[in-house]
Amino acid sequence: MTTISEPVTEAARGMADRALSWLHAHRELGGLPPDTTETMADPDSVYKPLGETTLAASLILRDGVAGPGRLVAAQSLMDFTWEQFRRGDMIYERQLRHTLMTDPLEMYAPFVRCGYRHEGLDRLLAHRSRTRSVNSVEVLPNRRLAVANAARVVGLEHAEDMKALAGATWLGAMPEPWAINWITAYAMTHTVFHLTDWGGNPGGLPPELASYLHAWLPVWIEVWREVGQWDLVTELLIVGASLEDPYCRPEDWEAIAGLQHEDGFVPRDSDPVADDPRQRFTDHQHTVVVTAVAGSIALARAAGRR
Amino acid sequence: MSSHSAFAAASDALAACVLGALSGTGGAVQLARYVDDAPDTLAALAAVRVLGADIFSPHLLVEHPFQMQDAAVVAKSFDAFPASQDSEEASVARRDHATAVLLARLSGDDTLRGVAPTPANDAGLADTADWSGWCVRMAQLAPLATLVLDGPVHEAARGGVLPLCRGVSRSILRRDFPTAVRLVRWLAWLRHEGVELPLDPGLAAEHVFLVGGAGPRTALDLAITRHLLERRPGTGVKAAHA
Repeated sequence: MTTISEPVTEAARGMADRALSWLHAHRELGGLPPDTTETMADPDSVYKPLGETTLAASLILRDGVAGPGRLVAAQSLMDFTWEQFRRGDMIYERQLRHTLMTDPLEMYAPFVRCGYRHEGLDRLLAHRSRTRSVNSVEVLPNRRLAVANAARVVGLEHAEDMKALAGATWLGAMPEPWAINWITAYAMTHTVFHLTDWGGNPGGLPPELASYLHAWLPVWIEVWREVGQWDLVTELLIVGASLEDPYCRPEDWEAIAGLQHEDGFVPRDSDPVADDPRQRFTDHQHTVVVTAVAGSIALARAAGRR
Repeated sequence: MSSHSAFAAASDALAACVLGALSGTGGAVQLARYVDDAPDTLAALAAVRVLGADIFSPHLLVEHPFQMQDAAVVAKSFDAFPASQDSEEASVARRDHATAVLLARLSGDDTLRGVAPTPANDAGLADTADWSGWCVRMAQLAPLATLVLDGPVHEAARGGVLPLCRGVSRSILRRDFPTAVRLVRWLAWLRHEGVELPLDPGLAAEHVFLVGGAGPRTALDLAITRHLLERRPGTGVKAAHA
């Protein structure tokens, strides 16, 4: 029996709905510059954020707990980003040109989740997944989990042993909780995201890791709340909502909901926020994405969807 | 008139003295001589009160003999600075009581228990729902984490293993090392009691020592922690209620 309290549900609904509205209203700011090709000098500047927006929209559609208007907005966002990627052609070209890169597969997975497919890319991904070279690229364990989960969503045949991959991560070692830092905290949250397929499969997290997180999440959330690292705090809320027995303390959820502006904007930290709309988007788009995802997952858990 | 800084300096000096006795780098603590030789007698007595139960640690942990003239000095420190009667200062009252209990135990004079009253029952001690606030209180009560003493605070520690471990982690992450050491001391006490812990108190203690450094008070907490960790679980003298 999943237990998520009413105050958390209420906060989560506001967070998801308003964050989605903000992402939709500002989507043009995240568009790819004209003449962008598959070889990007700085993929983190626009390409990656576009993928994050796609991810948020895809999870809202997957979870299906938003109101009808919100689902339409999420679908519209998916259509927008799909068009930005030239209906998948750009992802295909990037994968074709850079066989060992994993970001095209990861970028494509949320589209596949919502029924968008690119025939050439499907064939290319199936081909590369059969090569020892691709499966032996040396990457950090939590990144390997990201690729494995994307492959699972896309439906590639090569299946990784997720439990073995989990064991190789920082979280898998169940380290001293006082030895965590900002970087390992993000590595830990992403390990949980991929093992649970973004909260869609709480049972994907080995029970001993779930127990470990139950013990220490309260500490980490409190410490990073104190220093106003809202982006990380919200990722930690996702982790809590993704546990089989969720850890969702109303005060934590209400703190993030209370930070959110009326239009859905959520600051990434306690530093001053720029007035320039483009700078605001660049600096804080990730936090708004995380907020939408957190809200959607908590609502789905509260509704007993999983 | 003794100043606040004179009191602080006297407390640090006495802490260093107790630490030397405990670690074997100094001689036995001679409280009577310490107070007699002090340039500021009132500050020296204040230091005895500030260190409280910790002044007995060489006697409890490395079995230094306790001198009757030292018992008289501890009693005199309570005359100079009477035990807390303020219900708002529950932690101070418990520390004072613990000092009185150990004073009576080591001196063999049970009337010396009377230097501090027995604290009122406190249901809040066992309530760990607000684990971070509860840990602040347990850090204040760290001098009770030693051999011989047992009572409601110790019962609360036994019932708050995970909250204490969370408190240690929180304090280290916040770089509040004095609080971290005091809470690790409770974990060391629990380990000595034979309690299973979800984190290694020895590793945490060493980490705090290396990254946080240590003033005399914190160094004393660390030394007591190490002594508790080095003792075989379950060994110790008969408990006294505190």
